[in-house]
Amino acid sequence: MRFALFLGCKIPAYVPHYEIATRRVMAELGVELVDVEFPCCGYPLRHLYFRSYLLAGARAMALSEARGLDLVTPCKCCFGSLQRVRAFLEERPELREEINQELAEEGLAYTGAARVLHILQVLHDELGAPALRERVVRPFEGLDAAVLYGCHLVRPSKITRFDDPARPHIIDQLVSLTGARPVPYAGRLNCCGAPVRERNEELSLAMIRDRLSEARDAGAHILVIACPYSQMQAEWAYTLAGPEPQRELIQGPVLYPQLLGLSMGLGPDELALTQNIPSAEYLLSFLPRP
Amino acid sequence: MLFTWSLHLSLAALLLGLAYKLWSWPRIDIGPACRDIPPLRRLRAGAGGFGRALLSRRGGAMLWALVRDGLFQARSRTHSPLAWIAHLLMFWGMMGLIFLHALGPVLIPDFTATLNPWLFLRDLGGLMLLAGVALVIFRRRKLPLLGRVTRWPDRLALGLLALLVLSGFGLQGLKITSAASYQRMVEEYGLLDEAPDRRALAVYWQEHYGVVFPSGQAAPTPELMARGEELNAESCLDCHARPQWAFASWPLSRALAPLARLGGGALAEQALWHLHYLAAFLALALLPFTKFLHLFTGPLLLMARAGRPRESLSPASLALLRALELDVCTRCGACSAHCSVAPALRHVPNLALLPSEKLAALKALVQRPRPESEAAQATRQGAYICTSCLRCTRLCPVGIDLQDLWLALKEELAALGLGPTTLAVGSQAHAQAEAQRSQEPVVPKANGFQQGLLHSAQADTFRACYCCTTCSVACPVVAQHEEPMKALDLLPHQIMHSLGLGMAQEAMGARMTWHCLTCYRCQEACPMGVRVTDILYELRNLAARDQGQGEAV
Repeated sequence: MRFALFLGCKIPAYVPHYEIATRRVMAELGVELVDVEFPCCGYPLRHLYFRSYLLAGARAMALSEARGLDLVTPCKCCFGSLQRVRAFLEERPELREEINQELAEEGLAYTGAARVLHILQVLHDELGAPALRERVVRPFEGLDAAVLYGCHLVRPSKITRFDDPARPHIIDQLVSLTGARPVPYAGRLNCCGAPVRERNEELSLAMIRDRLSEARDAGAHILVIACPYSQMQAEWAYTLAGPEPQRELIQGPVLYPQLLGLSMGLGPDELALTQNIPSAEYLLSFLPRP
Repeated sequence: MLFTWSLHLSLAALLLGLAYKLWSWPRIDIGPACRDIPPLRRLRAGAGGFGRALLSRRGGAMLWALVRDGLFQARSRTHSPLAWIAHLLMFWGMMGLIFLHALGPVLIPDFTATLNPWLFLRDLGGLMLLAGVALVIFRRRKLPLLGRVTRWPDRLALGLLALLVLSGFGLQGLKITSAASYQRMVEEYGLLDEAPDRRALAVYWQEHYGVVFPSGQAAPTPELMARGEELNAESCLDCHARPQWAFASWPLSRALAPLARLGGGALAEQALWHLHYLAAFLALALLPFTKFLHLFTGPLLLMARAGRPRESLSPASLALLRALELDVCTRCGACSAHCSVAPALRHVPNLALLPSEKLAALKALVQRPRPESEAAQATRQGAYICTSCLRCTRLCPVGIDLQDLWLALKEELAALGLGPTTLAVGSQAHAQAEAQRSQEPVVPKANGFQQGLLHSAQADTFRACYCCTTCSVACPVVAQHEEPMKALDLLPHQIMHSLGLGMAQEAMGARMTWHCLTCYRCQEACPMGVRVTDILYELRNLAARDQGQGEAV
């Protein structure tokens, strides 16, 4: 199984632990991730520069196509953004033609041949839960996990086609096969606040704080995240909160590949647990003693 | 006389220029944290930190960085193998030439430029430099993006180098043919008293050394040649290898032979000699103010970054380092060629989007801050379109921490009252809507507005809205406020309804439009299939376009 890895713009600078854990776990599962120099997916451009957004997204997919690979991203926003571009280009053939003319200048073409997947889809749909379950050699014990479904992976559901938008269950299923117990909580479908951080810090922070405290109120030990933006938001909230209120919020944000990796027997360093804010090493205490 | 004077003059200019740079670096403020640190303290902190790091355990790493990234430019290789080869050719060619012209005669006893290996190496150095320059010009012409960021400093540097090498080769070629030079050598070293000997050597040099005698020489009889060879071995070989070793100048000398035969050689040689030294001295004198400065600053930066991690630097050292970085940039374009948002350039014609240009813009901004100027607006757009993907920082061949500079740029912009572009466009749209409302009662307009929404085929789905408020109930932004109407002006369903009434200004200016999280809960929930989120996106685009901050139409 080979995919072009679309890291997106945020992971290298702000969430390198996500990259480390993703690469390690995927390698362990025999999934080959090919590095391609992708442009921005267009997501941040979309607010003010629609055509640039389309071009950037189409270019990313065309680059993947040129290598004959499907594209996989660990970022929900990149995923949603690329799927949205795809939908725009499908419903507006004349737009697609214009974009293709622009791409042709660098010898690229967008036909839609390359699929766009989130890593959770690779795990759930391509590898499949049963195969993953077999790899879980060290399931967590007594770990309650709140899942943040977030926005751009799930909605608009007609376009992203990931899970049931009203009652999503795929991430819960992926979490439960690591031995952790998904706990239902109010905000699981809500936003982490990242998209307005630049324009309205107060609102942005309130959104992620709400998610964290809702998860704590539901009795979760951790908040499971599969998007660099949500992770950045949660780590930001912790940094601002300082040590005391941190404990009041919740144990901490954990990236799904870190959770899966630990249950597969990978070590804390291989999954960069200490790079999380707060450090995710406390997860080790939920692992069975060898 | 002229030579000595201009050499000294250009050396003096070089030293003055370097001193000026050293004076100016600690006076450049980037980022508000360094404002109150006196220049001298910055210099002391920077130099002291550098020195201590060099003597510490990190010293080895610093020297290794100098070798790997300085001498062999390993960082260039990752960005483009061709650029790497081009720069290595230029660098090693130039270093060789500097050695042969300036250092060799000083360091090596009995250094003779006309003997091998120097004779050969000089042409090799020149040819390497020329090949490097040609490759760079080729890349800048072939890659459209590089072409767009090429400006006069790049042309000046390349032009000076090309002039230097070409005039050098020309000079060398003419010298080979020069009968006058031959005469001078004979008089200085030859000790030939008798006319037959003079004739024999001249014929020999005509045949084997390519000297062109305008008046011509006797036919090369075997006897003359034999005597010539003898004399050559006695008097010349110790100091003069065969000119064919100058493998580039030799063919050139053959091409220039007709000129020498016509008697124009001496004049042309004079002209080229002046040109050659003028180019060299000009490059030397201008060094502190051209790209050539990176010969000094580049290695310094590479070592500094290997010496201490940026996070551990004091504000004083950081200020100095940032100022140095602004001058290290050679505008090689590696960052821009790989920039994640470079594709946006097609529809947002603002070169400040590109890292190399943004760096220049930052330099201009800190030296002459003019928040109202168009340049400042463009710089702001560049600063905020950047996604902080770290690629430019990872690729920069001289190791500039561009990521850090972009953060500093945003701080500088904020200090000038220039916040994020989206925020500014939103505020202005809001202010316009308010102003309009205060002047006249808001009345529904004909539905001309629908033509304005272009982006998605069904953007005008807002017409299906019957104000059931499902979107506003689903909206987490609305839920966040106790009095949402006060905080957001219009709720999502009201925005959709306003659009149906053609009230574009109201919709674009509503704070709801700008505080939208793009979480798509509204759109997902709408029973009528109104693309609420997509429409809010489009409204932001339209406002930007109205204000001249969006894409070119």
